[in-house]
Amino acid sequence: MTTDPVEMERRLHGKRLLVVEDEYMIALDIAGTLESLGVQVVGPVGSVREALAIVNREEERLDAAVLDINLRGERVYAVADALLARHVPFIFATGYAELLLDKAYMRIPRCEKPIDKRELIRQLATAMDQAH
Amino acid sequence: MDRETGREQGRAPASSELLRLVFESAKDYAIFSLDPEGRVTSWNPGAERLLGYAAREIKGHSADVIFVPEERAAGAAEEERRRALSDGRAEDERWQQRKDGSRFWASGLMMPLADRRLGFVKILRDRTDQHRAEEQLREAEQRFRLLATNVPQLVFLARADGSRTWPSPQWIDFTGMSAEASAGFGWLEAVHPDDRAHTLAAWETARAAGEYQAEHRVRRGSDGSYRWHQTRARPIAGSSHHAVLFGDQVDWVGTMTDVHDLRTLHDRQQVLMAELQHRTRNLLAITQAIATQTLRKSASLKDFQLEFENRLRALSRVQMLMSSVDYKDIDLGELLGGELRAHDGNSLEGGRVHFDGPSVALPAAAAQALGLALHELATNAAKHGALSQADGRLDVTWRLEDDDEGRTIVLDWRESCVAMPRLDGTRRYGYGTELIERALPYQLGAKTRLAFKPDGVHCHISVGLGPKVSKA
Repeated sequence: MTTDPVEMERRLHGKRLLVVEDEYMIALDIAGTLESLGVQVVGPVGSVREALAIVNREEERLDAAVLDINLRGERVYAVADALLARHVPFIFATGYAELLLDKAYMRIPRCEKPIDKRELIRQLATAMDQAH
Repeated sequence: MDRETGREQGRAPASSELLRLVFESAKDYAIFSLDPEGRVTSWNPGAERLLGYAAREIKGHSADVIFVPEERAAGAAEEERRRALSDGRAEDERWQQRKDGSRFWASGLMMPLADRRLGFVKILRDRTDQHRAEEQLREAEQRFRLLATNVPQLVFLARADGSRTWPSPQWIDFTGMSAEASAGFGWLEAVHPDDRAHTLAAWETARAAGEYQAEHRVRRGSDGSYRWHQTRARPIAGSSHHAVLFGDQVDWVGTMTDVHDLRTLHDRQQVLMAELQHRTRNLLAITQAIATQTLRKSASLKDFQLEFENRLRALSRVQMLMSSVDYKDIDLGELLGGELRAHDGNSLEGGRVHFDGPSVALPAAAAQALGLALHELATNAAKHGALSQADGRLDVTWRLEDDDEGRTIVLDWRESCVAMPRLDGTRRYGYGTELIERALPYQLGAKTRLAFKPDGVHCHISVGLGPKVSKA
């Protein structure tokens, strides 16, 4: 484990990360941030259906994922479950306060919107660290 | 007396002597005798003390004077003597009157003497203090009943284990359960099955805490619906009263208050607060993303400032429209009109701009994305296109198409008579282009076509209104 930002960014280099976010501009923002660190972004996609298709197709090749919780009114939990089943670490990026988060996913790390990029990187690096 | 009689073993003192001693020494008792007509024949010191008449002044006179005037006039004295004769004794409690006119509450007993020709003996005791205390207690009880049966709560009395001994009429009215059916733990029947366990468990902790508190749904008898109630109970402060009032076994008094509306309101407020927070955060995230994207496509900081401010204004126009309809559906015509007016208030009157289509209710999410896209088209038109040139024309038309997948809006943005900037064959991939060609398909599943024709920009957008869009 490290807290050094540079080390954390280095850790993301070359990894395959799924981005699920239905707001195009935000998706682009997250994807752009990750790509600038040498991440291979899978997606972004904006619906549960598309995200599930990718998770099923990618199988173990995904290193991590960033999930928005509310996708066009649909909760992302089906995607979260699929990732948990494949031991792929992921974090939530959400505008929802703890209050509305399903209790089953309380222990999943969260980045609150608007997203602080350094926080996003730190959360992702930590999640990937803990998965190994 | 002891010394004198005690020596003579087994012999009781003469009863006449005993009586004399009692008669003379019983200070707290008025003891006197009356002839058959009610005239005083003897009067003990207790009577002197209690009634204020000296023996010598009342002997030979009627004892009726100790009755209060209204009872005396009604014949209470004669009635007492009549009863003593017929029943062997007349016993009662009533107000009596002293020589000075003051009154006291007396417990009295009158008996005829064995030789009835001699008349009666009467014994009186002053019980004013006890009487007052009893009256106060009765008043207290009345006040309690008045309160308990008239407050807008369901009141009950219970034992320390939660078993109930008395339900107020309000409980019976509300639940439709009789007092008998509610007794013991019968009242639980009116509590929602899911709430019974914690309702009972709270009684376990209540004994130690000295206070019972629970919230639960209680069934309304009239329509079978459940309403949230807050129930609180406390042990009745250890007083001698409560045993008198309610019997020894009752220990707790409680109220059940209907908090249903309050609770429903509270729940709704929480959802609203969360929703508001979600919207705010989302809006901030979009603003952040617009800033990043605008920055990426801006040649200078000045460019950035201008573009960013314009986009924020467009965003806030859509937000204002959305909040004015409480985040429900937004009319496409209004959205478009607002956007065009923001760019050029006069162009709408000049006949160069024409827009037409049926009334269409856009879901909030679609409205936001479309609003931003229309803003980009209008901005471009105002800078380089139809709105920037005297001869330029802008026609925006839309229609609805229904098919198996649901309803689709098809919108045409057509600029004409525009002298286009020299086309060098390359496409300008600006922010607006990206928004229309990528963002709309991405988040609304829209089909878009953007073309820079020789006489002006032509944009075609079709958005499904099916089940796909619902996010605010």
